[in-house]
Amino acid sequence: MAKITDRSRDIGEFVPRPDDGMIICRCEEVTKGEIRRAVHDGMWTMAEIRRYLRCTMGLCQGQTCSKLVKGIVASELGVPGSELEPATSRSPMRPVEMRVFANEVEAK
Amino acid sequence: MKRYDLIVIGAGPAGLSAAIEAAKRGAGVVVFDENARPGGQLFKQIHKFFGSKEHRAKIRGIRIGRQLLEEADQAGVQVVLNATVMGIYQDKEVLVRIGDGVEHVKGDAIIVATGAAENMVPFKGWTLPGVIGAGAAQTMMNLHGVRPGQKILMLGSGNVGLVVSFQLLQAGCDVAALVDAAPQIGGYGVHASKVARCGIPFYLPYTIKEAEGTDHVTGVTIAKVGPGFELIPGTEKHFDVDTICIAVGLSPMSQLMKMAGCRMVDDPRKGGQVPVTDAHGQTSIPGIFAAGDVSGIEEASSAMIEGRQAGIYAAAYLGYEEEQQMDAEETQLDQMLDGLRQGMFAPGRKGKKIEKTDEGIAISQNLLTRGFVADDEIERFPGVTKKAAVHPVIECTQNIPCNPCQDACSQGCIRIGSQITALPAVEESSKCINCGLCVANCPGQAIFLVDESAQGGAEITIPYEFLPVPKEGDQGTALSRSGQPVCEASVVRVRSSKAFDGTHLVTIKVPAEYSMKARFFRPAGRS
Amino acid sequence: MKNTADVIIVGAGIIGNASAYYLAKKGYRVLVLEESDIVGDGGSSRNGGGVRQSGRDPRELPLAMYGIKNLWPTLSEELGRDVEYVQEGNLRLGKTEKHLQILQGLTDRAVKCGLEVSMISGDEVRQINPYLSEEVIGASWCPTDGHANPLYATLAYYAAARRLGVRFITGESVVALKKLRGAVRKVITKENEYEADQVVLACGLGARKIAGTVGIDIPMVSMMLESLVTEAEPVMFGQMLGTAEADFYGHQTKHGSFVFGGTTGLENVVKDNGTPVNCSLAAPSTCRGIIRYVPRLSEAKIVRTWAGWMDYCADGVPVIDTVDEVPGLVLACGFSGHGFGISPAVGTVVAQLVAGEETSCDISGLKYDRFHAKS
Repeated sequence: MAKITDRSRDIGEFVPRPDDGMIICRCEEVTKGEIRRAVHDGMWTMAEIRRYLRCTMGLCQGQTCSKLVKGIVASELGVPGSELEPATSRSPMRPVEMRVFANEVEAK
Repeated sequence: MKRYDLIVIGAGPAGLSAAIEAAKRGAGVVVFDENARPGGQLFKQIHKFFGSKEHRAKIRGIRIGRQLLEEADQAGVQVVLNATVMGIYQDKEVLVRIGDGVEHVKGDAIIVATGAAENMVPFKGWTLPGVIGAGAAQTMMNLHGVRPGQKILMLGSGNVGLVVSFQLLQAGCDVAALVDAAPQIGGYGVHASKVARCGIPFYLPYTIKEAEGTDHVTGVTIAKVGPGFELIPGTEKHFDVDTICIAVGLSPMSQLMKMAGCRMVDDPRKGGQVPVTDAHGQTSIPGIFAAGDVSGIEEASSAMIEGRQAGIYAAAYLGYEEEQQMDAEETQLDQMLDGLRQGMFAPGRKGKKIEKTDEGIAISQNLLTRGFVADDEIERFPGVTKKAAVHPVIECTQNIPCNPCQDACSQGCIRIGSQITALPAVEESSKCINCGLCVANCPGQAIFLVDESAQGGAEITIPYEFLPVPKEGDQGTALSRSGQPVCEASVVRVRSSKAFDGTHLVTIKVPAEYSMKARFFRPAGRS
Repeated sequence: MKNTADVIIVGAGIIGNASAYYLAKKGYRVLVLEESDIVGDGGSSRNGGGVRQSGRDPRELPLAMYGIKNLWPTLSEELGRDVEYVQEGNLRLGKTEKHLQILQGLTDRAVKCGLEVSMISGDEVRQINPYLSEEVIGASWCPTDGHANPLYATLAYYAAARRLGVRFITGESVVALKKLRGAVRKVITKENEYEADQVVLACGLGARKIAGTVGIDIPMVSMMLESLVTEAEPVMFGQMLGTAEADFYGHQTKHGSFVFGGTTGLENVVKDNGTPVNCSLAAPSTCRGIIRYVPRLSEAKIVRTWAGWMDYCADGVPVIDTVDEVPGLVLACGFSGHGFGISPAVGTVVAQLVAGEETSCDISGLKYDRFHAKS
């Protein structure tokens, strides 16, 4: 659902923090600081964040870190986490080998 | 394309229950599950469930799983394992991976019962091997027979954290501490007490500051949490552990429904992103239903009822059941569900500070912060009475939806009444025959038989679920509710029976003055 | 908050973002209105990342050649973020004589336009890329082609434009334009009104309805595009791959994962029923295509597929033009699934059109009024 958002709204300066080096997305090795900085670069939605940094797009498909990333983005924007729409879910729900995906079998 | 009346995704408690009800009404049902074994989390649940008879209370989850599978088989449900649903597409098409291929199938209705996934919490070192989810630890122990570590720190005092801590102890691991950033224990007091009486310290409000180690966990430092969730300098405590278990809640695995285009909502009370559903669990796409944790985190007992409801709704949607009949059954199941959603841990009361029980008795503050009821608090509860003969002492001090103890006693010694969350009270006029069924049947292991009239001291019968089971004549130490040594004790009787379902009743003899203090037994030679 | 700007760009995809960036560099006050909540959520994030000249229609080839010569090589430094541009050539593969005929036709056409592209044999193909199947009997080879990361490039333009002061408003759905005193002036959204001296429509399919409100029609239809991505694999090859019949196209990213798109022949009839776009037949078909050409990838795991609608123009090339009948209106739409590679050049040209400057590339074949009946 579209919500009008002026991306020029002032969210303050990026302020470095001691735990910026902590890895949040293990699969793609994205740190808390990178996520926070991306918000200041204008990435205000979960879809933009993941396309900008790859976080939540690894082998676990965001199962582990989506909630953590969302919390960091929301806090940087000063909005409740529930306001951030999660990125769209996509098939396949679990990683699958190309040869398997290619092998369409008639269900018995 | 292969078409089913109903496709159920997930063979856990909700999915199986749904499939059974729909199939019983005549629908052709297939259940897909990505795991090699059906039952979802039930087969890791080696503890006895709370609730009443209709909720399958006092039965261990693993057995409930077997019962559901038998029922599904009888109802003609086709359960397909190692079958990963990869996506839900337009027109209720499901793409499922089976073996080395993918199959396109369609359902006239779909029930999504994919359950939940564990949350994580980041701290310095959280990506080190040795930091694992509590659910993962449970899988290792209870499905694969592997200890997740030797020395473990548990973060999270909800029911999962408490139950898994106890299971770690049962598996022979050493639990160094149980830590929670909240000011009070999140799970049932009786679960906490089982852990506390084994001597495990609770640290609240504390959280993990840092996991130490270079290529795996070698230690952990915790620190006290201030009101703004900041760590208070100088409160650090270090533990040498090789494993850190994280039990900080679950999130619904609702991605398939988002993919299908169901309208979603982020509801923190339900654990995260859930589908918007009508009163019948139907999502915004007609014919797609949600049941169990995927529509909001609750207990397995609730998931089973919700699953049954979804199965009945789907059957009605498919024309296998008249609406009137559905309404009647719905009302009945709603009442059962209501029964589980009452008491101090009801969904609406999560995290709220509760000072008094429904009976007006002050809650034990020690229980909320340290995991055990203190000696000077215990006597005010109605299950704790004195008698010059053997009698039950019921240390159940919070209003939780559970009543197997009342059903267990053939003599009418234990009264809960029609309100399932009422505190159990001991009827002074009834005569205890020392059968031990109440002790074995209490899912919270909170009932003890105390006999102060015994020769040469008091005899205390405790529920015991550790191996090896002590033998008559064994010597050891009696431990207090907080797990501290109280006195020497000797085992005078050990009872094991099919009716006790794996719980052994160990009767120890202690000096009479410790009858209200000794609540656990540590055999000599064990730490 | 003021609702006026020098230029309003409708659409925050890579075309809109690149145009905004180059306009801001020229000193214009730019406002970008995006209907979606998300920046770059259309075709910009749903393509194979090809930065190709070969295989292109001669009418858009000048944009492709200009971009590859002048813009792509320095784009990462220009925007301050790695867009993962790699220039290691494009192989368009063939397995049959019929394929080779198609490829020869494309090659001849491109050579005429001055592009360095040639037909090579199967063995030559495997010298360039040893992972290709023995079944490949030939290919067209354009060594100056390459690929980049469309997600990074789209968002890098956005971030850079934002740094230059471009104002972006997401979730703002434009419903109409309005002329005042003979020139375009007002941009009316569902809830607001904005004003500018010039308006750029860079919003794909959506441009058709909006342009219609000032009496202009751009003949475009929707077509589904689906992409897929694998887990990271060891580094294998740097070329952009495609085939004569477009069964698949794609490349290995810097990260190690492979990003591919493909066609099923059904993309123009996939229905839109309001749920996230998808077609259960697309990924299996693309996977079969890939494995037949790159057998080594059969064990690579797909972690995600994603799809969207693209704006397919009646003759398969975009409209990039000012509109004589509606002064102040600039069109940049109808990219027909191959806009990414030319986006830096398009952004440059759009900024020049707005500024009334001579364009760096010949876009005379991309006029808005070029559509006629066949006889």
